[in-house]
Amino acid sequence: MRREDYTQELSVVEGKPPLRSIDDIIAKPLESKPDKKYFIALAVTLTMMAIGSVGLGVSFYYGTGMWGNNNPVGWGFPIVNFVFWVGIGHAGTLISAILFLFRQKWRTGIARFAEGMTIFAVMTAGIFPLIHVGRPWLAGYLFPYPNQHSLWVNFTSPLLWDVFAVSTYFTVSFIFWYVGLIPDFAALREKTVNKIKKVLYSVFSLGWRNSNRHWQHYEMVYLILAGFATPLVLSVHTIVSFDFAVSILPGWHTTIFPPYFVAGAVFSGFAMVQNVLIFIRKIFNYEHIITIDTLEKMNKIILLTGMLVGYAYAMEFFIAWYSGNPVEQFTFVNRAFGPYYWAYWIMVSCNVLFPQLFWFKKIRRSLPLMFVIGVFVNVGMWFERFVITVTSLSRDFLPSSWAYYSPTLTDGAILVGSFGLFFTLLLLFTKSLPVVSIAEVKAVVDGAQPSHGDH
Amino acid sequence: MSASEKSVQYTKKELPANVSKFGIALLAIGLVIIVIGYLTEPTRSAFNNIILLMFLTSIGLGSLFLVAIEYVGGAVWSTPFRRMPEFLSSLVVVLPLIAIPLLFHLHDIFHWMHPEAVETDNILQGKAPYLNTNFFIIRVFAFFIIWFVFYKLLTRNSKLQDNTSDQHLTTKNIRISAIFMPFFAITITFTAIDWMMSLEPHWFSTIYGVYYFSGSVLAALAASTFIIVWLNERGYLVEGIISDHYYSLGALLFAFTNFWAYIAFSQFLLIYYANLPEETFWFLQRWEGNWLIMSLVLIVVHFIVPYFGLLSQPSKMNPKRLMFMSVWILFAHIVDLYWLVMPTFSRDGIILGWVELGYPLAAFGILILVFVQKSKKENLIPIGDPKLKRGLDFRL
Amino acid sequence: MAEKILYSYTGLFDTPDEIIHAAKKVADEGYTKFDVNTPYPIHGMNNAMKLKPSKLGYVALVFGLTGAFMATMLMYWMMAIDYPIVIGGKPFFAFPAFIPVIFEVTVLSASVATVLTMLFVFFKFPNNSHPLHGTEYMKQVSSDKYGISIQADDPIYETDKVKALFKELGGKNISPVYYDNEEINAKHKIFEPKFVGLLIVAALLVSGTTYIVLNKLMFMTPFSWMMEQDKAIPQEINTFFADSLGMRNPVEGTIARGFIPYLYKGEPELAAANLVNPLLPTKEVMAQGKKNYDTFCSPCHGYFAEGDSRLRGQFPNPPSLHSQKAREWSDGMLFHIITEGQNVMPSYASQMTRQERWATVLYIHALQRAFNAKETDLK
Repeated sequence: MRREDYTQELSVVEGKPPLRSIDDIIAKPLESKPDKKYFIALAVTLTMMAIGSVGLGVSFYYGTGMWGNNNPVGWGFPIVNFVFWVGIGHAGTLISAILFLFRQKWRTGIARFAEGMTIFAVMTAGIFPLIHVGRPWLAGYLFPYPNQHSLWVNFTSPLLWDVFAVSTYFTVSFIFWYVGLIPDFAALREKTVNKIKKVLYSVFSLGWRNSNRHWQHYEMVYLILAGFATPLVLSVHTIVSFDFAVSILPGWHTTIFPPYFVAGAVFSGFAMVQNVLIFIRKIFNYEHIITIDTLEKMNKIILLTGMLVGYAYAMEFFIAWYSGNPVEQFTFVNRAFGPYYWAYWIMVSCNVLFPQLFWFKKIRRSLPLMFVIGVFVNVGMWFERFVITVTSLSRDFLPSSWAYYSPTLTDGAILVGSFGLFFTLLLLFTKSLPVVSIAEVKAVVDGAQPSHGDH
Repeated sequence: MSASEKSVQYTKKELPANVSKFGIALLAIGLVIIVIGYLTEPTRSAFNNIILLMFLTSIGLGSLFLVAIEYVGGAVWSTPFRRMPEFLSSLVVVLPLIAIPLLFHLHDIFHWMHPEAVETDNILQGKAPYLNTNFFIIRVFAFFIIWFVFYKLLTRNSKLQDNTSDQHLTTKNIRISAIFMPFFAITITFTAIDWMMSLEPHWFSTIYGVYYFSGSVLAALAASTFIIVWLNERGYLVEGIISDHYYSLGALLFAFTNFWAYIAFSQFLLIYYANLPEETFWFLQRWEGNWLIMSLVLIVVHFIVPYFGLLSQPSKMNPKRLMFMSVWILFAHIVDLYWLVMPTFSRDGIILGWVELGYPLAAFGILILVFVQKSKKENLIPIGDPKLKRGLDFRL
Repeated sequence: MAEKILYSYTGLFDTPDEIIHAAKKVADEGYTKFDVNTPYPIHGMNNAMKLKPSKLGYVALVFGLTGAFMATMLMYWMMAIDYPIVIGGKPFFAFPAFIPVIFEVTVLSASVATVLTMLFVFFKFPNNSHPLHGTEYMKQVSSDKYGISIQADDPIYETDKVKALFKELGGKNISPVYYDNEEINAKHKIFEPKFVGLLIVAALLVSGTTYIVLNKLMFMTPFSWMMEQDKAIPQEINTFFADSLGMRNPVEGTIARGFIPYLYKGEPELAAANLVNPLLPTKEVMAQGKKNYDTFCSPCHGYFAEGDSRLRGQFPNPPSLHSQKAREWSDGMLFHIITEGQNVMPSYASQMTRQERWATVLYIHALQRAFNAKETDLK
């Protein structure tokens, strides 16, 4: 066992790199041409996107009948994928905003990247509400504007709350991300010799000149945004959980859904971020900025949120029994032993069992093992949304209405396409913007702040 | 272990005598009222007793949680005053005493303990494997034992470290804290379900445990914050606990106030929206007659006032504001528990009289006395903790 | 070339401690129009520079509360006044259900407004024409050095004094910064004609696109497919059929799902001859038959099939079922009568399933047997 010395602060950035080298190492991917590995990766993700586009095209041309949705399972892959991707997005805001509020310095190496992932995940998630209405070109009707039908949207519907929540989440996350990028654009502007890039960076930096009079307001706004983003991220997945929980369907209508969904979102989001970061730090040589300590801390959070999800499963199960409501009791027996038992057990093993391995320090610090567990967590969380949505719909109150749901190839194509979109955006991001926050990392290097002998 | 540049100066000072005198006075008056209450109105007293038990459990168990979360999260800013929640967690030793009068009145409180009621009610029959007197009592004592074990393990290591400064004790406590967490989650949930949710045995809510948890952490934070600020302002702690630390405490109080409101609102909205009679009756009971007033008071007292009272940055750092809001939040927590428990006893309306007065008095008396007792025997600062210096150097 | 106008004098420092110390000194000396430029925010710099706390918190509060208020009022008007609909049995102004939207709008308005205020009002961004842009000083402070810039228009500014101060503090690269020609006349970018022009173009594009999409594109293929469908619409003229009717009768012989047609409709003799009772007279069957008989048959036929109706003449009494003729009726015949009715008796096919009818038939026969019992039955 490693000897821990609790009197010493863990370095956020290993070694004590000179500030200029931080500029260089973070700007390097932006200044160098992409190599063969990059193009191969991009080709794979673009192919996945192409498959998705075919799926979407087919869906628009022939209609939503191309999907597996039937009666009574009116919600299938589209909403499962939507909830999945929104959940992935939450890790980014949590790392950026919540860890900032808790003054956890180890977030600096990963915050920029995580925020980017949030934005791309929310964009990917946003596809699904758009397409699942069948005629996405009429999506404007989702917003309350005076229209020729004199109709307003139903403000008491959770599906509308979703519209507001996800739009707000995207907007605020984007603003938060952009505000963080302003000083970095300025740094790049000063560093670059390429004329076109200089103009672009100048425009996007808005003319930032590192003035402390500006830093003062900047830090206040960053704190305010973090302070708003935190309840916002909780509210977004809470509102998503309301899609299910405000109904009367057994297995859906249970009061623990809001915190349970939020915990699950953080769980799956962290697993995805951890997975992607393992690649990023290797490819870009950021191992001393995105350290194993950082990854270990993330794995601890994965363990914690996994156990919160397990707690919610246990509570649902117990209260279903306790309630004495036979339909509710049946729903849970059906989940475990009915026609979707395979999905249920994948979910339980991936979400509750495998993450328990993170109790062991060796496993928390082992890159290959943590990667595998992260993948399992994502699989498990996708299946959790699937189990919740499909089992409760396929067998609800009236046995004569029961029916089995099977996804179609089109459903699968769109799911593959969503991963393609997400990873394509990530790849483009790594080559066009600094994936680590230059200014923030500089601020937490050892010796970056004055020694406060006279505080 | 590296030597620090300047070691932390701490001299143990005795708390002033009138603190314990004040505590004794509160407890004495409270006890007198409680005893008379039990002799004249036993059922009403028993219900109030539940509120007292749940109040002290929330602070005791919540404080143990705060200690554990500091270890597990690796926080340093709270290390200098970790002893405060450690002392408060010793309340778990007192809890069995509070539960004893209840054990004689269980039959009056819990509808499901009446065999005639269960015989004619299928729903209660279905719950009987869980809601039966024997299993109930076993659970009550099993939880007391579990809490006592973890309390002893964690605080013993912490106390030992004062003398040995052994870093391994921190490592051990981190492990114990991590193992404590699942036990905490299960026991706090089921203690709330047993003592409070089962008062209305037909009603159920999966978020109930989380609701009690949010209130408990808030109460534990409030109690700890008050004590920390009060002692620090009078120099009983150690040089170096400054506005940055206060800010963190204030921010946590603010955050958990919001968290409580979020959980309470979730529980309400979902039941309101689906409008199923088997669930809504619980809220309707608290909306009829003058219980309506209590429900609105709860929202104002437990959310609106602490929210705006702790919103601004300066307010989170101001010792007077922190002390005031801490006491306010503790009272709000009592209001919350009252709102959860009493409507079962008094369907017609709020019942607030001299009987109710005895219990908060006793509660605060017990809090003060337990704290004073612990402070006599132990250091108010974990002087051997390796993170202590880092904690005092903490800046926002 | 006109004489260059001095903007400020700048000095660079290497460590955070130096810059904090230097900033304190400069502020103590009484300078107010100066700035510190660092690659990242330095703790304690705000106090060192004697800056007043930022007021952006109030901006957030004001805009947040405004957003909350506006959202509440708008929803109240839309849902309770302009187009009230009863949804889920909730009142028109269902406040708990409005809270999620109110919350989101509050956060959105507070965040967006605060950031925009910071950028466009406090910072007066975008501004790429500041004298410090493009200098070696800016290059350094963006990377790894810390700098102070004391402006020439400070009330107590004197070049020699400033240079000496920098020297004393240990500043390096002490150099002047001059205004460029364009910069001196730079107005706030927001009001420049180019920017305003850009905004107008953007507005025209957005509104034009929206108009074209909603009023023209929606009526073109394939977006119009939903509106122009090939299906037959009821109550519209349909050219496919000779009689122009879109609504058609079901095909001859169509029956409801799960319906089994009764084969002996109107043919009692065939029914009597061919139908066979599938049930055996077990206890459960007889109990079922009794129950059905008592429910459906007894009002007219009496509890013992004697024809003593309880309807007291409101409906003609049926003949007793114990007559020779009735006793000789086969199960099939009785079944047929129950199914189709006979004379004044209506059909009971919709009140009893076939199983139930067969059980009733057995019960009727049992009653008949009871009224004409043989000696041997008593054993």
